[in-house]
Amino acid sequence: MPLNKWDGLRREINLGAVEASAAEALRLVEAGEDPLTIFLEGIEPCLSEIGDRFGRLEIFLPELMLSADAVKAIQVELLPMLEADGSDYMKKGRVVIGTIFGDIHDIGKNIVSVLLQVSGFEVRDLGVAVPAQDIIDSAKDFDADIIGISGLMMPSLPYMRDAISLVKENPELADRFRIFVGGGPVTREWAEMVGADGFAEDAVSAVEEATRLMKLVKGESV
Amino acid sequence: MRSDWLAEIVDRSETGPYSKESEFDLILVRVVPELVKKHGLKFDPEVLVPADDDMADRLYEAGLELLSTTGVYNQTTERRIILTRDEIEEVVAAAPRKVVLGTGKDAVTMSHRGVESEERCVIHSAPTGTPCTEKYHPLILQSAAREPLVDCLGSGSVATYMGRPVIPGTPTEILAARLGASVAREAVRKAGRPGMHINDVATPLTAQGKFAAMDQAKGLRSSDAFLVSQMVELKTDYDQLSRVPHMQNAGMHVVDLLTPLIGGMGGGAEGTAVVTIAELLLGTVCYSASYHIFGHMSLMNVNNTDRMGLWIYSIGGQAIARNSPLLMINAIYCRSGPGTTDLLWEVAAGSVATTVSGLHQGGVGCTGGSETDVYTGLEARFNAQVCHAALGMSREEANGYVLEFLNHYETSLADPNRGKPFRELYDVELVEPNESWLNQYEEVSAEITTMGLDMDRGWKRALETSIN
Repeated sequence: MPLNKWDGLRREINLGAVEASAAEALRLVEAGEDPLTIFLEGIEPCLSEIGDRFGRLEIFLPELMLSADAVKAIQVELLPMLEADGSDYMKKGRVVIGTIFGDIHDIGKNIVSVLLQVSGFEVRDLGVAVPAQDIIDSAKDFDADIIGISGLMMPSLPYMRDAISLVKENPELADRFRIFVGGGPVTREWAEMVGADGFAEDAVSAVEEATRLMKLVKGESV
Repeated sequence: MRSDWLAEIVDRSETGPYSKESEFDLILVRVVPELVKKHGLKFDPEVLVPADDDMADRLYEAGLELLSTTGVYNQTTERRIILTRDEIEEVVAAAPRKVVLGTGKDAVTMSHRGVESEERCVIHSAPTGTPCTEKYHPLILQSAAREPLVDCLGSGSVATYMGRPVIPGTPTEILAARLGASVAREAVRKAGRPGMHINDVATPLTAQGKFAAMDQAKGLRSSDAFLVSQMVELKTDYDQLSRVPHMQNAGMHVVDLLTPLIGGMGGGAEGTAVVTIAELLLGTVCYSASYHIFGHMSLMNVNNTDRMGLWIYSIGGQAIARNSPLLMINAIYCRSGPGTTDLLWEVAAGSVATTVSGLHQGGVGCTGGSETDVYTGLEARFNAQVCHAALGMSREEANGYVLEFLNHYETSLADPNRGKPFRELYDVELVEPNESWLNQYEEVSAEITTMGLDMDRGWKRALETSIN
């Protein structure tokens, strides 16, 4: 049975082999593959599978991070070609993300940040214990489409609600930013109650949620 | 240990190699698997309490090598605090082998425990990582403090003060911290044990909030402790480090809190065990800890009662017990909640795996802290009884028990029963467990007794001590 043409690329990404992944992507381009197709048909399904396996703890964070590193290396090589083709693949949307004030846990937020980046989003990561107003200011400065807020501790939830209120109670900001939230004590019901536009249960669903919110930003049906 | 070591830590925080946090994470991600391979560490899901001294020693060596390779990341300065192997070994060798916790008649001595040791475990108890409501917080603490086999109390956390959210860095945090401390003090006083060691007030997040809880009469005293946290993985910051000299000068115990994530930067069971050892050494070197909370947990499920979590407890505990004088307590993070037999089986597995591996008992974290008021003193009693029953047990025997206990709850880990809050499990006037919760406790205790463990050994031992 012949090998799928993406098998080599996916194998290198799964191994987290940075240089070999970039080299294989370039080989595929030289063999006539369109760079955008490489991302859509070769890399995205691979990343999705890696994310699912991580969700089931069949692989662990190191493997996820190394695979993400490999995809970033491919992005560096293929981005000029995508831009030359007029593709906006690597400009899926601009996301400001941070752990809200009152909380210093960052691992979940970091995973989301990495997965968004390798999925074509431009991300500004604000770190941990970020006050609500600072998140809004950074979102304006970065000209973000989406604000992602994480919190693992229950005492941080009022600040998350404050950040959402700062946006939703200001008509100018409410039209400008979509907000999604996640973290241990955050539930879909709570997110809806406080007026968040989206909720992510884990890192993989965070990418799906950001993608959905970008459709809302662009006025597309979801 | 040099008296100016903390000043040296600050110097190195200011002058060590600069790196973005994500770059430090990537160093860990690449170094840890190499150490796992180099030292031949292997997780066996059928042997959760390994009787392999050589592997325990190799694990210790891997952890030491990790810390001396990567150093500690200071998030404030974004620099690595570089430590040499000799420095780490020197500080660890000078760490306390025993500490006195509490004061007067209620003081207990917590001593270094070896593998398969008969040395008595000190039993800490608290709503570990479990938020409480203002209304039930005093009763929940009282329910633990009044348990005769419990030696030390943790005060838990409350998210509100007079119904308002506790905002870090504001007066509400100070007020809530002082209230939390006075509630803990009152709980031990009501239990007739006013000198009992209190190991933290968890409500405040900032250093100023913590220290507002110090009050000789109504709060925490020099015979008590606060936790100083590490951030995952191998990270600290100036806020945490600055707590240490204050507590040292107040004569308080520093408790090092580490929560390595299984499935996180360390990877699977073996890598997380290596990170855990490195973090236990970090807490000794940077925090001068009196004792350590060994609190790893699953990245996804926030528990350590699955196979990987139990194995890390056992092999990690043995590595430290065999190679250092450090004092460790567990934190049994469970998926289930009180009012379920699943919770008791999870506690039993965690208790046996850690008791034979050199740890003391730190308490039960029901539902991984996801629900409010899900803690009662009865699981503390049960934890203590199982622990006493396992003193001096061989690792091979312990492994058999742990696997048997696991059979009772492993299938429910994916969709756990979160149980009931305190008010539905205790008579809130008498602060006694109600009949249905007692029945579940007695049912599991009887089954464990049938398996061959003496669940009354702790009581008998207490009686012998009082007679002799």
